[in-house]
Amino acid sequence: MTAQNSDCWRWQEYHRVMPGKSYTSNDVATAGIDVGSVGSKAAVLVNGEIYSWGITRTGSNSPESATKVLDWALKDTDIKQSDIKYIVGTGYGRVNVPMANKALTEIACHAKGANYIWGSQVHTVLDVGGQDIKAIRCDDTGRVTSFLMNDKCAAGTGRGMEVFADLLKIPIEEIGEISLKIDEEPPAVSCTCVAFAKTEAVGLLRKGWSKEKVIAAYTKAMAVRMSTLINRVGLEPALVITGGQSKNIGIVSRVETALGVKCLPTPNWRENELDPMIAGALGAGIFAKALYDKSQTQ
Amino acid sequence: MKNNNNIEPKIMPETNPKEINELKNTFRVASENIIAQTIERMKKTTPNRPKEMEYFDEIANLFGKRTKELDQAKAEGKKIVGYTCLFAPLELILAAGAIPVRINSGWYDTSKLGDRVVPVEVCPIIRSTIGAKMIEFSPFIEQSDAIIAVLTCDGMTKLSEILGDYKQILAMSTPRVKDSPQSLKFWTAEIKQIKDNLEKLTGNKITSKTLKAAILKTQRATRAFRRLQNLRKDNSVIFGRDAMLVNQAYMWDDIDRWTEKTDALCDELERRVQSKKWVCPSDTPRVMLTGTPIFWPDNWKLPSLIEEGTPQGVLVADELCSSERLLYDPVGIDEWTMDDMFNAIGERYLMASTCPCFTSKDGNEDRINWVLNKVKENHVQGVIYCVVRGCMLYAMEHTKLKRALDKVKIPVYYLDTDYTREDAGQLKTRIEAFLEMLNAQIDL
Repeated sequence: MTAQNSDCWRWQEYHRVMPGKSYTSNDVATAGIDVGSVGSKAAVLVNGEIYSWGITRTGSNSPESATKVLDWALKDTDIKQSDIKYIVGTGYGRVNVPMANKALTEIACHAKGANYIWGSQVHTVLDVGGQDIKAIRCDDTGRVTSFLMNDKCAAGTGRGMEVFADLLKIPIEEIGEISLKIDEEPPAVSCTCVAFAKTEAVGLLRKGWSKEKVIAAYTKAMAVRMSTLINRVGLEPALVITGGQSKNIGIVSRVETALGVKCLPTPNWRENELDPMIAGALGAGIFAKALYDKSQTQ
Repeated sequence: MKNNNNIEPKIMPETNPKEINELKNTFRVASENIIAQTIERMKKTTPNRPKEMEYFDEIANLFGKRTKELDQAKAEGKKIVGYTCLFAPLELILAAGAIPVRINSGWYDTSKLGDRVVPVEVCPIIRSTIGAKMIEFSPFIEQSDAIIAVLTCDGMTKLSEILGDYKQILAMSTPRVKDSPQSLKFWTAEIKQIKDNLEKLTGNKITSKTLKAAILKTQRATRAFRRLQNLRKDNSVIFGRDAMLVNQAYMWDDIDRWTEKTDALCDELERRVQSKKWVCPSDTPRVMLTGTPIFWPDNWKLPSLIEEGTPQGVLVADELCSSERLLYDPVGIDEWTMDDMFNAIGERYLMASTCPCFTSKDGNEDRINWVLNKVKENHVQGVIYCVVRGCMLYAMEHTKLKRALDKVKIPVYYLDTDYTREDAGQLKTRIEAFLEMLNAQIDL
């Protein structure tokens, strides 16, 4: 992808089959499907362990997006949808997941998923989704103890970042690193509202600011907003970030600076580790396994 | 445009009579639909809803039976006295032979109209009431011969000036420090002043005989009211939104009939307790609501989302001035002398109030204690603290209440919303996540 690409906001859709895992018909396959406002994620688990996963963009039709992302997660595996014993839907479109046995909120699922990815030391989860941000506190088992959510507003969310990627013609995957290529951290943009921040950014570019400086100023404003939410819910280490923006190093490092703590490192999905963007789907898949087990004992 | 008192409005904009009529008709159809749909949903989502709720469903139609009765009473020469806050001493209104009716508005559509008069930062209850007056939408405001405006929060204070463009306003000023000796003296003087004004308005003298009869009437209502709240303490024999509708109907219904019907409902509920017939499973999370008052019909969004969600919660108590605080405290009389009755009325409305418009030596600790007490008595598992945009007083008391609830390990969720239907999806996620957190079922 080049910087001239007009679709700079368009992030890559991808799927992974975890290496070294196997499935036979005696195993219990469950799945979590997280239909977010911008991205849809699916995680397939075998006996409660992650087996494969996939991420796609959410289309205008939630049920279709759910079907598409589950197929995507099952691609190159020997599991068929009919093999899956229990499915939990989550995310903004959770009630529109046709094949789901149950719907749970993304708040419960992200905490559970983060607990699986990083372990029991996780007590605060910041989920930066496509259209909202959530600060979640949880116990050693990944059970939610309190949470806060911003108002419906694109400020400080993945969608806001997409708008800036497009405005500045920077591919969205590179936006974090580019925001750190500056000599000195500029002051944050004063508007967090995406529509106004965009106008402000255009003004800064006219004033002769570099793209790097502008995106740094916007990223900083977003990070401040996220830190405020975390402070309001009360930060209890360890902190992790889930959702698409966990892969934005510009956001992660600035949140760390604002809060004065380090986040647990973001796994590298390119190296077959788990993508924190699937935390919600993963948590839903874990709940699906537990709910399936419960249904068998009753 | 001159109003019916023939006074030039000072604040309200001139509205084209054609526009008034069009909006009034459109909103009326929409509102009647919402009332019918909400009741229909309440019925459908409660498999064995108490049969006695039927009466309250009928009274819930703000344009129906009760409005017609009030029209009839007016035609017979009775005066209708509207009021904006529960501080208005209903006993005096009744003793003067007038009919009390609360005029706060829960309509979302009219709040958009209110935006033409005051900025959107103003509390939506105020904007909605202004909007309703602009197009003569609320039957109760229109029927009022005078409005007792209690100057509690800033919004209510300025609302009284705006309504003053059209209606005779009987203002009552509340003291700010609740527990100082001067305050009760000041408040009692305000009550006496209201008495004089009500006598002037109705032409009826308030005598010890009529006042005693009025006090006995509200005492009976309080007994029925308390009986209903007590029934909600242990097992879920009724959904909270049904109980809230019963409580709220008191604001406009005939008080004697309301008492009789509430007692009939309680009889039915007691039979259900005997036969252990509950409206939801025993492990349904038990939730309490506190914060900005919630008004029928449109502003029923929150109770509906809580009790119709997945997972489902059940509202077992609230600390709202539009519901459980309405009638919680009776007027306590030692001797039926005029002086004693006035003092008792003064105390009942001032000292018992937990409204955040007050402070006191211990900083409105009464409210904290009220909530903590309810949490314990009603086995509450989580508290939802609801604040509408622009409601400064309730927003600011959240921190203190949260700290008190943290100490007893009761989770509390701060839910900010507005008079709009658009945030229902977001609210649903928040409420459901909170209920999941309370729900032991998903503790896997």
